[in-house]
Amino acid sequence: MTELTHAQYESSDDELPEEVAFDDSKTAALKSVKDALESAKREKNLLKEKRRKRQLLFQEQKKRKCLPEDLLEEFDALPQKRPKTSDSNKDEDTEDVIKSKTVSKSLQDSYSVVRLKDGSAAKTMQQSAMDFIQSRLYGPGTKRTTNAARLSLQKKRGLNQGAAVEFANKEWGADHKVKAEKSNKRFIQKQKLVPS
Amino acid sequence: MGEFKIHRVRFFDYMPTGIRALAFHPINERMAVARMDGSVEIFHCSDNFFQEKIIPGREQCGIEALSWVGERLFSAGLNGEITEYDLTNQKAKYTVDAYGGPVWAITGNQQGTHLAVGCEDGTVKLFEVNEDKIQFERNLDRQKGRIFSLSWHPSGSKIAAGMMDMIQVFNVETGHSIHRILVDRGVGTSRSKECVVWSVVYLSDGTIISGDSVGMVKMWDDHTGTLIKSHNITKCDVLALSVSQDEDSLVAGTSEGCVVQFQFISVVLDKDDKEWVRTRTFKNHTHDVRAVAEITTAVVSGGMDTQLVVRPLLDKIEVWSSASALRKIHFPHRNLVSCARKAGLMLFQYPSHLELWRLGESEGIDIPGMSLSIKSKPEKRLHLKVKGEEHIRCSAVSPCGEWIAYSTASRLRLYKLNFDNNNVSITKISKLPKVLSSANQLCFSSDSSHLFSSSTMALVHVVSLSQSGCKFVGTLKPKSGSHQAIHLLAASEDGKWFASANSDHEVNVYNLQTRKVHCTVPIYSSAVSAMGIHPTTNCLFMVHADQQMFEYSIEQKQYTDWSRLVHRKGLHRIWWERDTPVTNVMFNPQNTSQVILHDMYMLCIIDQSLPLPGEKTQFYNQLTLKSLPEEQRKSHSHAFKVCKTFKEILCVDLMSDQSLVVVERPLTDITTQLPAPIKQKKFAT
Repeated sequence: MTELTHAQYESSDDELPEEVAFDDSKTAALKSVKDALESAKREKNLLKEKRRKRQLLFQEQKKRKCLPEDLLEEFDALPQKRPKTSDSNKDEDTEDVIKSKTVSKSLQDSYSVVRLKDGSAAKTMQQSAMDFIQSRLYGPGTKRTTNAARLSLQKKRGLNQGAAVEFANKEWGADHKVKAEKSNKRFIQKQKLVPS
Repeated sequence: MGEFKIHRVRFFDYMPTGIRALAFHPINERMAVARMDGSVEIFHCSDNFFQEKIIPGREQCGIEALSWVGERLFSAGLNGEITEYDLTNQKAKYTVDAYGGPVWAITGNQQGTHLAVGCEDGTVKLFEVNEDKIQFERNLDRQKGRIFSLSWHPSGSKIAAGMMDMIQVFNVETGHSIHRILVDRGVGTSRSKECVVWSVVYLSDGTIISGDSVGMVKMWDDHTGTLIKSHNITKCDVLALSVSQDEDSLVAGTSEGCVVQFQFISVVLDKDDKEWVRTRTFKNHTHDVRAVAEITTAVVSGGMDTQLVVRPLLDKIEVWSSASALRKIHFPHRNLVSCARKAGLMLFQYPSHLELWRLGESEGIDIPGMSLSIKSKPEKRLHLKVKGEEHIRCSAVSPCGEWIAYSTASRLRLYKLNFDNNNVSITKISKLPKVLSSANQLCFSSDSSHLFSSSTMALVHVVSLSQSGCKFVGTLKPKSGSHQAIHLLAASEDGKWFASANSDHEVNVYNLQTRKVHCTVPIYSSAVSAMGIHPTTNCLFMVHADQQMFEYSIEQKQYTDWSRLVHRKGLHRIWWERDTPVTNVMFNPQNTSQVILHDMYMLCIIDQSLPLPGEKTQFYNQLTLKSLPEEQRKSHSHAFKVCKTFKEILCVDLMSDQSLVVVERPLTDITTQLPAPIKQKKFAT
């Protein structure tokens, strides 16, 4: 009771607290629940749409990847002929062989057909061994520098001191010069130093 | 004296390949050097390190290791094959597949009976060395991981194998592993990278020494399988180890280019407890050192900077002479450039192709010492690629410029060139005589009518060349039984005489009309590095690898008076102290007493009419002679006139229009194309 009077004192209007009917509040509560349900449904639908669209996209891509329809039909037709002939030989071995033949007609993605002449196992092993040495001696983790840098260092600390090799010898610094010119051009264009 | 116009040529892009393996044969004193392109070179260590034999390589060879077993040389590579070399004929004898994947290491036992090979699949395969071939015997226990290095115990009963992160010690008889020694990985960031044991050495007292990729040289005890001592010598990898014959000195080669020596000495004087102590550091390389070998008096090292460095150990040398100086071998001791003297053309021999260039012409007034402006630039007329994987062994162009011949290890090719105006057309001579299958050395006669090719059994085949093709004429056979391959040929101007020099130091002179041996020059202790026949006097002028010179008169079959005078008086000290051999000898047609020679750093004209320099006279006296007045010059000049203007000379030749061609290859141009070196932090940079 004291609280009510307190509220009365605080509010400027001498009003009674609003009468909220039970029905109104009930409807309001139901409405909010409905809204929540509806928004959840909408979200679900949106996700569904997205998923459907994605699925369509993938199917299209797959279609593009596959061979044209008529070729596929041709391939399907051939294996059917073989099982027909196998009916005459009721040997299980030949069936297995034919089954493996049908499997080989459509290779999985990770398999490929290579001639024995082209890439022998020895060569690839040799290549992988050489790559191993290359990565251990020159790969990441090794502190390597360039020949130009080393010669320049020698010149700086040597008996006859001179400028770095990129400056002294025209051939060494050729690509540095080209890079410098390009970046100069870009800078000039950017800053609009040259009135165009 | 003589004035020559000099064409200074720098467009021969000669690129040597890095050294991958070294193997020393202590009895013969030969050092076998394997390069990354598969070529194997044999150097004679006591004959001034002369490059006696070169076995050319092939594409995609991937040679990894060399090993001597008795007198035979074996190599193994990443192509999975073991090759034995025929050193007499300078080629590969046969190859045996190891069937274990790429082969990383090969080593023979001290008894000379077996060869152990370390493969990619983790097996150590033992091969029995028979008289004519090697035969697979058995595998030792297979391990998980590749085997990078192998070393036999001197008794032949145990083998140590260096692998990834560990060393396995095998008992050869049973094939089982006795010890599995784990090698530590590095500290800090390198802890995640595996440690590769690049090389192992097994000593007779049971110590195993290993060099790994962390930069440590570790000494292990094989009885307990534990670490005795570990030395950190570098931040990068230790790539090669080699121990001396009497096992008191060890050298290690690193990626930084340092070679570190360890010696087995007692730390405290007069006490008996010896241990391995790091003594010397040699910094003679700029790139990775991939192979080291310790010979009796020196440390030989080679790596990716393509030079072979011989560093004599001063405590092992009794007499300090020029032989005890540091020696670097850059260029091959053979000629890679041949000149067509009458046509002004030069043929450059690369490993897998040939280039024919025409020299440029100059204009302007000739003033000695001045460089003339170029009227027409030198141009490349022909680029001839070799079919197949083998590298070119030798090549030659005829003096008239119309014939080119080259030979690989298995075949010889001859081409005829036609020059009409500015076009060059080339036709291959397909029907070659059967004897011309492969040649060790090729030479054209001076009138371009005959081709001489030296082949197996020290025979020289003579073939005549004409418009219609080539026809076999005859064979020159030596009298003695030496079958060593011939590495130098020389034909006389008048077409009557022909000389050949082989690796056994024998020089034979043949009479071309009868095609029989005319005479044999007395054998000298050093190999012949260059020779030529004088156009008018028909004297054979020979320069040897130890810088000795001889002049032999062919018609009189004896040494000339000038040659005897040279030996009586002796050559000047500075001449003996040169460390690169003379690779070409030419004669001046305008002045019959002049002989022109060159080595890597100098060009010299020897005037046989002038007196020889004495002990005390100044050798390089060209500048002082210039400053003297005319009358005094004659009295002060001596026979050797040396020009040191040109450096890093690959070849010097005399053209028929009295101009000299000097082909230089600056070493800095070679360094531009080498692989990347390790970064070294220097103070204040």
